[in-house]
Amino acid sequence: MEFRPRNYVAEEQSHLLPRSRADIHPFSSYSPQSILRQVDDNEENRNNEEFFDPLRAPDSNASVETVDGHDFESSSNGNDDSFPVQTKEWTSFKRFLMQRFPVSKMISVSSMSNTIVRSGKAHEKSSSSTHLEELDDPQKFSETDTKVITQQEYVSRLHELKDEINRAWHSEDRVKSLKLSIKVARLLMDTSVSNFYPTLFVLVTDVLNMLGDMVWERIRQKAEFAEDGARLCSLRENFRASDVPIDAKETCYNWFCKVGSIRELLPRIYLELAIFPCWRFLIEQPAESLQRLVMMTRGIGDPLASAYCRLYIAHRAQKLPSHDTGYLITCLNDITLIFTRISSTKESAHGCFADSKRSLVSLMEPSIEFIMKCILSDASQRRAGKVLVELGLGRSQEELFGGSPCVSIVLHHLLKELPIDIVSFHAVDILHLIKCSNDNSYDQSLNYRLVGLRLSEQISQIGSVEAVVNKVIQVVSEYGLDDYLKIVDAYLDIVLQNQMDGHLKTILEGISKLASDKVLAEDELASLQSILVKLLSHFKDLEHVFSLNHFLQILDMMHGNSRGIVNMHILDMATRNGYVHDPTTIQLLFEISQALHSDTDLVNMKNDDNQQQARLISRFVRMVDHGVEYERHLAFLMECRGALGSIIELKEILVHSSNCLATKALKDGKKHTAFVKTCIAFSEITIPSIPGHIKQLNLYLGTAEVALLGGLVSHSDGLIDSAINCLQSSDWMEGSRTLDSDGILSSIRKLCSLLIMIPGNPEVGILHIPKSLLLIIHSQSWSPRLKARILCAIISLSATLSQERLPYHADHPEIMGNDLLFFGDSSYVCELLSLTESVIQNLVDVIEQEPSRAARGSLSLEACNCIASSFKINEHVLSVCSKLIETAKLCLNAKDKYLTSTISFLDKNLPAGAVSSSIVI
Amino acid sequence: MVLVLALGDLHIPHRAADLPPKFKSMLVPGKIQHIICTGNLCIKEVQDYLKTLCPDLHITRGEYDEDTRYPETKTLTIGQFKLGLCHGHQVIPWGDLDSLAMLQRQLDVDILVTGHTHQFTAYKHEGGVVINPGSATGAYSSITYDVNPSFVLMDIDGLRVVVYVYELIDGEVKVDKIDFKKTPATTHSAH
Amino acid sequence: MSTKIDLSLSRPNRIYRPSEPLEGKIVVKSASSISHYGIRMALNGSVNLQVRGGSAGVIESFYGVVKPITILSRTLEIRPSGKIVSGTTEIPFSITLRNPKEDNSERFYETFHGTNISIQYLATVDIMRGYLHKSLSATVEFIVESDKADLLNPPISPEMVIFYITQDTQRHSILPELKSGGFRITGRISTQCSMLEPLSGELIVEASVLPICSIDIHLLRVESVLLGEKIITETSLIQTTQIADGDVCRNMTLPIYVVLPRLLTCPTVLAGPFSIEFKVAIVVIFQSELSRLHPKSDPLTPRLWMAMETLPLELVRARER
Repeated sequence: MEFRPRNYVAEEQSHLLPRSRADIHPFSSYSPQSILRQVDDNEENRNNEEFFDPLRAPDSNASVETVDGHDFESSSNGNDDSFPVQTKEWTSFKRFLMQRFPVSKMISVSSMSNTIVRSGKAHEKSSSSTHLEELDDPQKFSETDTKVITQQEYVSRLHELKDEINRAWHSEDRVKSLKLSIKVARLLMDTSVSNFYPTLFVLVTDVLNMLGDMVWERIRQKAEFAEDGARLCSLRENFRASDVPIDAKETCYNWFCKVGSIRELLPRIYLELAIFPCWRFLIEQPAESLQRLVMMTRGIGDPLASAYCRLYIAHRAQKLPSHDTGYLITCLNDITLIFTRISSTKESAHGCFADSKRSLVSLMEPSIEFIMKCILSDASQRRAGKVLVELGLGRSQEELFGGSPCVSIVLHHLLKELPIDIVSFHAVDILHLIKCSNDNSYDQSLNYRLVGLRLSEQISQIGSVEAVVNKVIQVVSEYGLDDYLKIVDAYLDIVLQNQMDGHLKTILEGISKLASDKVLAEDELASLQSILVKLLSHFKDLEHVFSLNHFLQILDMMHGNSRGIVNMHILDMATRNGYVHDPTTIQLLFEISQALHSDTDLVNMKNDDNQQQARLISRFVRMVDHGVEYERHLAFLMECRGALGSIIELKEILVHSSNCLATKALKDGKKHTAFVKTCIAFSEITIPSIPGHIKQLNLYLGTAEVALLGGLVSHSDGLIDSAINCLQSSDWMEGSRTLDSDGILSSIRKLCSLLIMIPGNPEVGILHIPKSLLLIIHSQSWSPRLKARILCAIISLSATLSQERLPYHADHPEIMGNDLLFFGDSSYVCELLSLTESVIQNLVDVIEQEPSRAARGSLSLEACNCIASSFKINEHVLSVCSKLIETAKLCLNAKDKYLTSTISFLDKNLPAGAVSSSIVI
Repeated sequence: MVLVLALGDLHIPHRAADLPPKFKSMLVPGKIQHIICTGNLCIKEVQDYLKTLCPDLHITRGEYDEDTRYPETKTLTIGQFKLGLCHGHQVIPWGDLDSLAMLQRQLDVDILVTGHTHQFTAYKHEGGVVINPGSATGAYSSITYDVNPSFVLMDIDGLRVVVYVYELIDGEVKVDKIDFKKTPATTHSAH
Repeated sequence: MSTKIDLSLSRPNRIYRPSEPLEGKIVVKSASSISHYGIRMALNGSVNLQVRGGSAGVIESFYGVVKPITILSRTLEIRPSGKIVSGTTEIPFSITLRNPKEDNSERFYETFHGTNISIQYLATVDIMRGYLHKSLSATVEFIVESDKADLLNPPISPEMVIFYITQDTQRHSILPELKSGGFRITGRISTQCSMLEPLSGELIVEASVLPICSIDIHLLRVESVLLGEKIITETSLIQTTQIADGDVCRNMTLPIYVVLPRLLTCPTVLAGPFSIEFKVAIVVIFQSELSRLHPKSDPLTPRLWMAMETLPLELVRARER
């Protein structure tokens, strides 16, 4: 047998595709930015047309209106638009209510709520009587027994009632539906289990809304269709009372009469609200009745019940197309009065009175929140100003905050909903108002904080930043640490964006003064964390942040999780903008990394948080750049290995970094041999502690490459030996979960390609390494396909090593390739050939062992390709190839592309005159 | 007309911090229909970045890739062409035309794209084309630390492919093009 | 096969005014044709008075029925004798209630069904079939409301009465702490009210030494019947409407808004032999341990923990808005 001689340079030259200069190419023909810009411009133009052209706007509106007049369908769509949004809003508000006030499992039910406890039969009886007055519980005043049932029972009973109401309605027993609904509404008179009240409210109003919808539908039906089903008229979505036929009106009026005759106030209000939208059938301005209902609600003495009743008013009023908010203002003013009354109540004998007051206020809060939202949602600045005047906060549109102080919880929600322009413009007045509104319904400091957060929405628009910040600084000076931090946190963005360095200094000073000698509590740490993160994200330059007075001192006060988060932000920021050069910063970041590292729970390295930390530390380490001070950088890497060693990911980085460092030094061209050696030694020592044999193998090979670049043959030999040792280690068992045979194969192949550059060592035998590989193949219980492929790799390697001129050499003048060392040496060629021949025999045998037919076929073809490329084709080679082709033919489809292309490849390479009959198909 | 970006051997962050800014400014989302990447990215952030350029991203596994789930080889069909992808450190010897031709037969592809040598090359043989886009960051290779950053953009149009080679030489982007056609009859012709 | 006869009025609510014609149709469903001697319609309206013992403590001898007062009694022939074919036959009719030729001596009182007084209007149709067959007949009640011409022009003058409820205005004894600590509830309420409008007014709790438990508006009806020389009066509570539940805020205006119960009221009538009048009572209940011990009884019985004010109320039929 004879290796096929190759001339790599000539072959490459002859197959090179010709290239020419491209003046125009896909990334050049037009600047991509200009395209994006054009799109932007168009977008802007369109917007301009739609929103800012004053001449077009009324025109288009007018055309829509004409459509309204003629086309019922389209107008209904237009008007319905806002309703689904409100429905959705209400649904999420209900969920919020139930979640905010979780209920204990058991509920004591007073006798008033015995609708829930009674069995179903009692309802049957009452439904047969005609007077609604019978619904009054005769025992209301005499019985004080309470029964205890589970919340689940209560809820499921209510669901049953809802079903019952629905059933009665659809079996034409509307009186029963109404009576049951009244019973359900009466449940809201019981506020004794106050934490359950919001949930109860949601459940009851669901029932009432259902009834309201059914009544609405019935009357609408009555208005549109005669009793025999003939269509009388069709009501447009925005119909008027005058469009409604008299009979439908009569039915509707009856409903209001029935509801009006309910003796008790609260159920009477709720029921009227349930059917409230039906006023539209009777009167043109139904919204006027809202004011009356608001006034009637004043008669509900219980603060909690009345607050939720007002909430229901606001909700039901959304069903009307009107946008008047006068009644809501009255609601708010009334609630405010109640709050004033609550907070002025003197401490009673009960010790927990203040607590119960607080919990009452928080139970009432959703009502204020919802009503405030209804009043100010999408309110223009002018309208919001009017609201402020109506609430008594402002004297006029010009003086929006000159009036009386405000209950702080109401103020809180007002500030939350006010248009941002008003908050921005009147910030100083608002701060003053907060100062004056100091009652215990809401934490004053949280209102200061809220204003800060609101102002931060639109920092550039704040009227008088200097005055605002001065005021805030003055306010916080009277607070303790917790409140101080909460407030300052909210205003920090304003201070930062306006470059108020003096104030920033004051704030940091204040923090350090208040926090020194103090163990910080959770809340304080959280605020501090937020403050420091804001600082970090504001300044581009980490060094700038570090140089701020007290910053590092404050950082040192922090501990635990918050400290870790700030540290992570610092690391993230440090590495976001490219390399870190400054030695002081590097040192600081290194300390931070150490702190993070020591906090990290080593047992739980899988934990996501810890992975995040490990990532950040690793990123920091690889972003460190000491420029040309390579020694210093290497020293840093060593320090990292010592201090941060438990991060596996990092160790890999350290090896890569030190290797890269070595190549940089080499590239510099100076004499750096000693340094490169140190780098390589560093890598060599570090690699064994990295888990994963393939990883180790690849890192050894990578380091060996660098050693070769540096002309360090003995080092590379040592590294390759280590790589071989990796392969020999015993846990490469097939079937073990971690075996990555693709990975092993490709790394061994890479090793073979690397060996081409490495001068053979006659002391241990020139082919020492390929032979070691063969031994490994024999000793490991790898699959036939893995073995066969490695054998092919050895054949390719041998064929390459036999060449007069190798395809590539180590990039170092002192290293001579095997071609220079051994070419022409007959014993060298003999050794190569004998090795290869035994490998070929081995290969054929191994392929036969492959159990899968398809794999056996393609392995045969791979082997055939490999052999045919490596050798001059003679009788012997041809017979081996033919045998392999036969095997492949047995295993594969005759039309298999790989099979046909291999055969044609063989044909092409047959020496002229050779007999080719054996492989003709 | 389909634009296919081919690149590889970024070795981020081990051997380079990022792509050269001049490359980065050229690579904008929305222009490229496919990306084929030969491997050695090496970290996930790079994959994420490439995804932002074009969601149709194909990657094969280099020996230093963090994500070991990339396949060793991959084939895909774009228009009339079948493309094969492989990192190339598995090829013995590296970059050898005959060995690449073997791989090309095995994968049965018209265009084989491999990397590892960090040198742009484009060869035609046996009716097939072998392209190596080089290293997009100019990272040092197994053989040399003297590497110019480069990548390739293929404009596939019917049976014609124009390969644009972007190389960063002395701070300037140099663009060359290579034009070739596929002759349907010559590929995969049976005996 | 039976024959069915039905009387159906043109208005579903069956409300007619004296000057309007009563309209409708007679619906006969029969399997075979029917010969008859004429179809007649009779309209009757009367005030029925009775005196029952009870609240007023009237002696046994008063018990009994007073002779009804006839308002209307007319019979008309809708069809002369003839034949009704088999199947469904509809015979429309239209009869003016107030005969313009007749002297208007009798007033058309509005329909009313009370405890002692009942004012009722009935329409009856008869198909006369001779001696061999029972005559077919059907009766339906129709409701009479005052004529539009007689109505007051809206809006009726808002006659509001101002009231004060304090410890000093009470005619019954009250809790000592109420007496000494005092309370003051003021307000206004209309004393003339249209049947179609709610009874309205407002109320303010200005001060109260005890917390308020409830404030209710009671609607009372007073029916009086002249029996010989005596007037027998029956007062009944027809509706209670709570306007305050619990201890409401002081100095806040609470609305009084009471929807009148349609079937239990009619315009105030002051006729010779009888009268129907209304009153409104404002009852304040204070929170007290005592009230808990007492079983619920007549809400109008004066108690120690209650304060009240009763005012007359005139109900009128006003023109619709």
